[in-house]
Amino acid sequence: MGVWDVFTGKKTTQTASPSNPEATLRDPAGGSIQPTFDNVSTEDVSSFMNTPGAFDPAALHPLAGLNQDTLDYLTLDDSALSDLPGGRSILPSRGWSDDLCYGTGVTYLTALSIGGTWGLVEGLNRLPPSAPPKLRLNSALNAITRRGPFLGNSAGVVAMMYNGINSIIGHYRGKHDSFNSVAAGGISGMIFKATRGVRPMMISGGIVASVAGSWAVTRKLLFE
Amino acid sequence: MSREGGSHGLDHTRDPCPWVALSDFGGAFCMGAIGGTVWHGIKGFRNSPYSERMIGSITAVKARSPVLGGNFGVWGGMFSTFDCAVKGVRKKEDPWNAIIAGFFTGGALAVRGGPRAIRNGAIGCAILLAVIEGVGIGFQRMMAESTRLEMPPPPPQQTSSGSEGRLAPA
Repeated sequence: MGVWDVFTGKKTTQTASPSNPEATLRDPAGGSIQPTFDNVSTEDVSSFMNTPGAFDPAALHPLAGLNQDTLDYLTLDDSALSDLPGGRSILPSRGWSDDLCYGTGVTYLTALSIGGTWGLVEGLNRLPPSAPPKLRLNSALNAITRRGPFLGNSAGVVAMMYNGINSIIGHYRGKHDSFNSVAAGGISGMIFKATRGVRPMMISGGIVASVAGSWAVTRKLLFE
Repeated sequence: MSREGGSHGLDHTRDPCPWVALSDFGGAFCMGAIGGTVWHGIKGFRNSPYSERMIGSITAVKARSPVLGGNFGVWGGMFSTFDCAVKGVRKKEDPWNAIIAGFFTGGALAVRGGPRAIRNGAIGCAILLAVIEGVGIGFQRMMAESTRLEMPPPPPQQTSSGSEGRLAPA
């Protein structure tokens, strides 16, 4: 076949396909029709496929001269792919709802794992290693169920408040930077312990603000 | 009757499948926590003596709404994970994914109660999700009625219908 010969680089000579020039077609009215296709002088496909300009796409269609220069509206500039403030970093985010959902979810699961590990260690240490394994397993499960969800729920609530306040501050200030994070962390920490009194409020506010600040700094250093 | 096109399941505002479980978890947690704040705030308010209503309300909120948030969050995260798993196995996007995922979620959350509790929980949750999906599809159809295109009138009949398909006589 001509096409495969071109691709594989072989040169073959083929005779024209045999045909019957005597074949006639019969019209329903009874006359005979001379075939107008004279296939004795057919050339092989490779006669035109091997010429240099055979596969010129511009010959197919007026718009077939497609290249980057003429179709510059199709080239996507990487820097213009997203104008959202959260779209640049490795942890992309489309706005406050993304921040809220992903931040709360990740914080809850992290705190759940930390609390679960704490509970596991505490439960296993409560009984000496000589105790039967079922008792130790039961004690470990009890401690995990006590510590894990408690830490997870608390951290999730703080993260929810932090993300919400962060987005509100950012919306009203017009920009998103670390000051928002630290302020939001302080406020949410204070709300979290608001019923305990002024001193626990300040301590908790300080702790959450410092955690939020270090997260903002880490994020800026590592991910952008 | 025009049917919904093939884009019934294509929601481009949600992230692709492994990460969407985190987002759903967080979203469900927030819904549960805020809803729990409202619910337990009112409940604690009403169930406290007159002089201590505010304190009672705040105490109830502090004690109960994180737990409710956690429960909602676990339900949402588990549902989303099973949804992704079912989508991966079936390789299709249709409402059955959500119903099957609801079945597994209801069963998984009732595991500590024994086989009967698992069966009942699974069926209940699947029915709940079937109702939610049905209402969602109903709303989509209602919204889409307003944008239905009418078919244009067919072109007038051709008069020369005998000039094709016949070989010209020599």
